Amino acid sequence: MNSNKIRILVVEDALEIQRLLRSAFEGEDFEVQESDSLAQALSRAATFHPDLIVLDLGLPDGDGLAFIDQFRTWSQAPILILSARMNEADKITALDRGADDYLSKPFSIGELLARLRVQLRRGSKTDTGTSPRLEFGDVMIDFVQRVVTKSGKILNITPTEYRLLTALTRFPGKMMTQSALMKEVWGPHFKDSTHYLRIYVGHLRHKLENDPSQPKHFITETGVGYRFVK
Amino acid sequence: MFPRIHTLSASIELLSTWQKIALSVMVCSLSATLMDPLIGHLDLANIVMLFLLVVLFVSVTLGRVGAIVAAVVSVLLFDVLFVPPRFSLTVDNSQYLVTFAVMLITGLISGQMSAGLKDKERQALQREIRTRALYETASKLAGAIAVSQVKEICEIFFQQELAVSAAILISEDGMIDFDLPNNQAPFPLERHLVDNAIRSGKTINNEAIASTRYASIYVPLKASAAIRGVLALSQYGRAAQLNDDDLSLAQTLGAVLAITIERLHYVEVASQADLDRVSERLRATILSALSHDLKTPLTVIMGLAESLGRGNTSIAEPILSVSRDIYVNALRLKTMVNNLLDIVRLEQGRMALGLEWHSLEEVVGAGIQYLGQSLTANHTVRVHIAPDFPLLEMDAILMERVFSNLLENAAKFSPMGSAIMIEASVQDGCAKITISDQGPGFLPADRDTAFERYNRGALAHMQEGLGMGLSICQMIIKAHGGDIHLGNRPEGGACVQVVLKLGHAPQVLQES
Repeated sequence: MNSNKIRILVVEDALEIQRLLRSAFEGEDFEVQESDSLAQALSRAATFHPDLIVLDLGLPDGDGLAFIDQFRTWSQAPILILSARMNEADKITALDRGADDYLSKPFSIGELLARLRVQLRRGSKTDTGTSPRLEFGDVMIDFVQRVVTKSGKILNITPTEYRLLTALTRFPGKMMTQSALMKEVWGPHFKDSTHYLRIYVGHLRHKLENDPSQPKHFITETGVGYRFVK
Repeated sequence: MFPRIHTLSASIELLSTWQKIALSVMVCSLSATLMDPLIGHLDLANIVMLFLLVVLFVSVTLGRVGAIVAAVVSVLLFDVLFVPPRFSLTVDNSQYLVTFAVMLITGLISGQMSAGLKDKERQALQREIRTRALYETASKLAGAIAVSQVKEICEIFFQQELAVSAAILISEDGMIDFDLPNNQAPFPLERHLVDNAIRSGKTINNEAIASTRYASIYVPLKASAAIRGVLALSQYGRAAQLNDDDLSLAQTLGAVLAITIERLHYVEVASQADLDRVSERLRATILSALSHDLKTPLTVIMGLAESLGRGNTSIAEPILSVSRDIYVNALRLKTMVNNLLDIVRLEQGRMALGLEWHSLEEVVGAGIQYLGQSLTANHTVRVHIAPDFPLLEMDAILMERVFSNLLENAAKFSPMGSAIMIEASVQDGCAKITISDQGPGFLPADRDTAFERYNRGALAHMQEGLGMGLSICQMIIKAHGGDIHLGNRPEGGACVQVVLKLGHAPQVLQES
């Protein structure tokens, strides 16, 4: 347990998926432990000190949401949700309760590893979001000067667009739910006017993306929210 | 039912007029006999007072008739027995005529007043009895849990209090269905009077038919939200018609009945909603379990096929090729499983759409994103949606499925490297979105049968998955109140047009 390997706790009741994830994670040289129940997961998490948790929402002995609540009382390690549920509301609840990202089953291992790396990078940085500038594609955001450029040209960004941009880009790769974004950018009274969010994300895409209809950086997670990808 | 407290006055009530007169004469005579020895000890003026006292007593106990008789008899007895010359009707001193007059008038007035009081007392008593009966009935109604119970309580009340037979007719949306088994009365009804009562909201009392078996009184049961029915009363076999007091009693109970029926109505509505919610939840649970059971092995197949080719260079090319085939087919299966689950979800009753105002460009983009490499690796997707295209009210998750299904079909049928176009325009108050490709286009036979999911004959010659995907698109779009058309472009290639309502998009405040 004293190795420097990245530790991943897989909370999943299907044995085949446990095995699949173990082989994929060990291929990346991660240290893996599994748990197939909620009760076990909490004690495992306490002794194993995982750097990241992969959590299936449908555990046999309780709801994955309850695990998130308890785990978040003492750890900020990223939680990635695996969900076979069809209900988007569950994902939103999980994210709002403190999960960091989710993947719907069936997922691709490549996608899972990519998401994992984003979360691990975020988790390892202690000063996330305080970097004075952010670059992605041909876009550069200078948070000190409050200037956004694309291909070197300064863009005309409105105050609301800028607030939304900083909210979205603060945690690259993190799923941001609609309600979290609405609350941060427009305040709690606009909670039900989510069309504002869609319109302003559209503005940002038209200004910052090369093809706004096939965005590469401001990704829609339909029914749930948005994710910024560098 | 109600304890009779005033037993004395009650027994006096039972006396006939002649008995009262006799009793009154007796009381006066007895008093006069008792007063006789007082002559010489008492002044005549005080004797008069004693007689007045007797008249007052009689009038209070025996009422109006007794009072009149007592007044007259007292005057006569006083005159004959006490006023000199005694034992004669003649009077020495004409002053006594005034005394007689005063005695007579006092007796009459006090009799009148006490009789009035008695009437009032009787009325108050009757009202008290009725109020109590009303209260008891109301509290029974408050505990009623079925309309049949309400009817029973109501029938008993009217039978006991007013001696009439009653029936309640329940209305639905301001109409009474007389054929319903629970809208039957034990007596014939005048249906136009029932309708009148509902329409006017006023009690109808047809005195002309009061003596027939027909119900002659119709009280609308007006509750806070609507008229819940009509209370019909048949006075057949009753000695006299109901008076105003009786009618107002019937109306008061009618108000209580209306509230009770309305309460039961809402209870029913709520329990139905509850039932719907439970079955909805059960359905969701089953779907969720089904989804889990189907997707878990699929995840494993996809994952294993994928990991065979990952970072392991020692695996021979033929094996890698097989693993790629497994992966691609598993992906196809994934789409089909999702479609299948969607069909179940859409078909089983009224799935609530999560309607919100969405940007078309974003939903189309999400559809492209969902397909990812399987779409963009071999095809160029060109989207032409104006930046100021109006927001559309839709369920984004379902509409994303529509676009990903249509794009997937387009990719499947058009040659590698060709372009797939998505264009949107506003025409005739509708949003029209076309997805066109450069493939062979639809066969005329396919165009007619593509939406018929269970038409095996039609599906047989179509490429796999086409029928199901298009059927789902149609279901989703129809649920949105829109339409979908299949066609071919003049220059070749299939062209699917989705038509959606524009609606009134919410205002968006512009930043200054």
